[in-house]
Amino acid sequence: MGFKAYSLFSFKMSIFLLLFIDIATAYSSHSSSADTTKHTNNWAVLVCTSRFWFNYRHMANTLSLYRTVKRLGIPDERIILMLADDMACNARNKYPAQVFNNENHRLNLYGDNVEVDYRGYEVTVENFLRVLTGRHETAVPRSKRLLSDEGSHILLYMTGHGGDEFLKFQDSEELQSHDLADAVKQMKEKRRFKELLIMVDTCQAATLFNQLHSPGVLAIGSSMKGENSYSHHLDSDVGVSVVDRFTFYTLAFFERLNMYANASLSSLFTSYDPKTMMSTAYYRTDLYQRRLDEVPVTNFFGSVMETIHTDSSYRAAPRKMSNRAGISMAVEISAQHDDRRTLIDLDVQDPTSHIKTKDQNCPFTRTMNTFFEKVERIEHPDSLVNYGLILMLPLLMVSVWLSS
Amino acid sequence: MELPSRWVFLLFLFLSSTKAFGSEVDKEEFQEELLLKPLPDRKVLAHFHFETRAPPCNSNGRHHHHLFPKSISQMVEKFRVKEMELSFTQGRWNYERWGGFDTMSSNNAKPPGVELWAVFDVPKEQVDASWKNLTHTLSGIFCASINFLESSSMYSAPDWSFRQASGSLRYGMLPREAVCTENLTPWLKLLPCRDKAGISSLMDRPSIYTSLYYSQRLHLTSIASDLEGLNSGIALEQTLTVVLHPSSQRTGLTHFSQSYLQPSWSLSSIFGRKVNGRCVLAKSSKVYLQLERGLVSQLKKSENYGADYIASEGYDGEANFELSVNPDRVIKEENSRNGISSSLLYEFSVDKYSNSKPFDLGLTWKFPVIWSCQQAPLHASRFLMGSGNERGAIAILLKSTDLNDSSPVANSAMDGCELRVNIFQVVPWYIRVYYHSLQLFVDDQLKAVGAFVEKIHVMPSKDKISPGMMEMVLKLPCGVKSAALTLDFDKGFLHIDEYPPDANQGFDIPSAAIGFPDFHTSMLFPSNESERKSPMLSKFQESSPVLLYTEVLLVPLTTPDFSMPYNVITITCTVFALYFGSLLNVLRQRVGEKEKLKSKAAAKTGRLSDLLSRLSAKLRGRSQEPMQSPSESSPLINSKLALKVLLMAALAVAWQYYFG
Repeated sequence: MGFKAYSLFSFKMSIFLLLFIDIATAYSSHSSSADTTKHTNNWAVLVCTSRFWFNYRHMANTLSLYRTVKRLGIPDERIILMLADDMACNARNKYPAQVFNNENHRLNLYGDNVEVDYRGYEVTVENFLRVLTGRHETAVPRSKRLLSDEGSHILLYMTGHGGDEFLKFQDSEELQSHDLADAVKQMKEKRRFKELLIMVDTCQAATLFNQLHSPGVLAIGSSMKGENSYSHHLDSDVGVSVVDRFTFYTLAFFERLNMYANASLSSLFTSYDPKTMMSTAYYRTDLYQRRLDEVPVTNFFGSVMETIHTDSSYRAAPRKMSNRAGISMAVEISAQHDDRRTLIDLDVQDPTSHIKTKDQNCPFTRTMNTFFEKVERIEHPDSLVNYGLILMLPLLMVSVWLSS
Repeated sequence: MELPSRWVFLLFLFLSSTKAFGSEVDKEEFQEELLLKPLPDRKVLAHFHFETRAPPCNSNGRHHHHLFPKSISQMVEKFRVKEMELSFTQGRWNYERWGGFDTMSSNNAKPPGVELWAVFDVPKEQVDASWKNLTHTLSGIFCASINFLESSSMYSAPDWSFRQASGSLRYGMLPREAVCTENLTPWLKLLPCRDKAGISSLMDRPSIYTSLYYSQRLHLTSIASDLEGLNSGIALEQTLTVVLHPSSQRTGLTHFSQSYLQPSWSLSSIFGRKVNGRCVLAKSSKVYLQLERGLVSQLKKSENYGADYIASEGYDGEANFELSVNPDRVIKEENSRNGISSSLLYEFSVDKYSNSKPFDLGLTWKFPVIWSCQQAPLHASRFLMGSGNERGAIAILLKSTDLNDSSPVANSAMDGCELRVNIFQVVPWYIRVYYHSLQLFVDDQLKAVGAFVEKIHVMPSKDKISPGMMEMVLKLPCGVKSAALTLDFDKGFLHIDEYPPDANQGFDIPSAAIGFPDFHTSMLFPSNESERKSPMLSKFQESSPVLLYTEVLLVPLTTPDFSMPYNVITITCTVFALYFGSLLNVLRQRVGEKEKLKSKAAAKTGRLSDLLSRLSAKLRGRSQEPMQSPSESSPLINSKLALKVLLMAALAVAWQYYFG
């Protein structure tokens, strides 16, 4: 009897397993590998790339974001903070050990618990790329590494002076959009993130995202190509501008939220008003699979974990969780098939979409197209013809030899 | 079968853990102390002293700590650190006004920026590797760029002038490292109560960072209990020294003008906070107020009190100043020498204070007092000589402070006495010092170096590999008024990648350390204090050689014009474009054909229309002509191609015809 019962049980189990595998394979064929892992942790890399006192506002921007993500639940050990200069204890600072992002001086951003991971001369393009890609020397301590995994949502915030497809580091180096795209690609291949939100507050910030092509990346920039990003206001006590407009309105949005708020990313994006910002915020969403109005901002700016309460013993938990994951994935997939919501007219054409449309044509026209393209690229038609003639000679000789 | 064995195992675990607890809990200890001291120039010195001790334990290398910070013990264990000191300093210790001949200045006056030295308990060939790993670890713990000290051009290995440590000592300095809250926070996290309770809760960041001098120090010593050094106890000493400027409070007394009166202060006025009871984990929690020798003797003079009065009566009998809290004890320094009054320490225990009754010590001066601090035998300063961006000279000037013969007599006072001075100086490699150019001036007269130098050790710098280091013992006559050392140097060039982003600011030469090995500072306290010895007072009792640091030098180096490559590229490109453009134009244009075309066009259209077109072309800036030429050239090419193809076909036909 016991044996029989056991066999029945095993039979049921095997059927279940088979079903499960079936479902799983169906999903994997539809969605990329990143979607199969669950969002498990949050990381933030906050970078202020400007040196010198008159760039006080960039440090204030970064520290404001630092405070916000800390308030929304990302712990200090999961925040990599890079500050290119020391403003708080700068000799020019009238308020030592304090940094303000508002004229009213109500909030000291430097607080008592700031942990700066890279500062001063350490903030270089090399170190920044090392943090992203995780290629450090062995001696580098854990606190200076981005130890994210394939379940991580990463917020990358950068501020400084930039231009068309570059961002200056310390007024001496540049991070180019290609470098950023390469680093992100490496991160994707090394499975260092599930989703990545890049937020950049600099002049012509949108151009920095031009080369990105890794899936799961969402990008927000403070201004379009050809536009400047402006500071918000000047603090006459500190003597310099204390915050940039884009960051100021981002913070204004977050100050209304707490950890459990359900505001979506699209509500953040629509909160930017080009009139008050004096620049047009740019969003690049074509690499991102989920619908923005279904993604809470705390997915990136906070660390809110869903806890699954199980009454039964832990052995049953994985099955239950995987089922749940499957269901949530189904929702995601249906969302993908829907028309993507357009938040703003994207003037910039992305090269990937062109390639996609070409891929849909029949193979013959495709090859012809490529052939024509190649032909068009040839610079000296005369020499080509000459080469062709020379090539024809041996052919002729062979044919003559064969025919004779 | 499984159950009993598990129980036995658990029981065993329980027993072993209780055993471990029993051996450790009562030994690991933490003590917190604060010393306050009025300074002659109307400032107040606050010196926090925290000491955590972990005794050696026998749980085969697996430490379980209750109070001792785990990160530090792991670091000591991993890198086999025998002794280490790390200091973060902002500002410069004013040796003339704040004293140069006491334990405070020789232990806690540090050079600006970061100073790190460590002695390792590893074979000599592994010392460098341990040092590199240690700098990275410390930079992770203390949020500072200490990892810049890992490159061999940033640290040195002094043999004997800085400290006796037979080759396993490494020493590095970062003079320009910023010191701010982010360095203090991890330092406070090493304390069991952090800054939440006890004396450390006084550390209000804005008020301590407004200080004139700020030095945060961490000193650890590991005490090896066995030969292998595996089970070692660690003593961690954390001190924070700040010199604050109290804003003078108004007192009711107007006998003397306020300007002469020392400013009155209280803990809440200088820190903005009060002590709400002790840190419960601390073994003892005490606050001391120190009146130094000079001040005590002045007070005695002004009040005409006998020496026995202060000794017997204790505190606050004088009308000179008033304390808001009665001290628990008065400790008088025992002085072996006659004629010099000894300093006083008022001790306050924080144990009995709580949230409802916070501890707030205040000192109110009633009569003006003027006193001065004890000075080191020689005052040292360092400066640069020369001008231009090519060469210069470093000068170290030692001046006697012995103006009115009141300075303490050397221990080794004897006939024809000599004053020995240790000089230790590290210079980065891009300042190429010529050590043969060492000149010595004693009392403004050039003297032979050999006559005064007892011992010298020089390590010339190697470009991009190691800094230049000079260790030296000078033997000067006791009555010397001044001595000056000069060293010539050339300024080197850095590679364009090696310039920091703010190279225009100049480069720093770290402070030189000047030691007086014959002079030791120590305070002697009555022997009955030993049973309730506080770590800070026992530190004061240790005799330490007088040590002082010179200024950091700022050397402007020739900085390249970083935009130059860009300018060169743009100019070259412009020149090339102009040259090749015009050349190509000349080569490509066919004058004859153009003329022909023009005449053709003229023939086709009437004269009037020709004129019109010319006019319009002139108005447009000759945009018509270049437009025409490519359209004309393309059929030309096509006809050529057709010709060639035809020729080829004819060849093929001929071939076929003759040979086929």
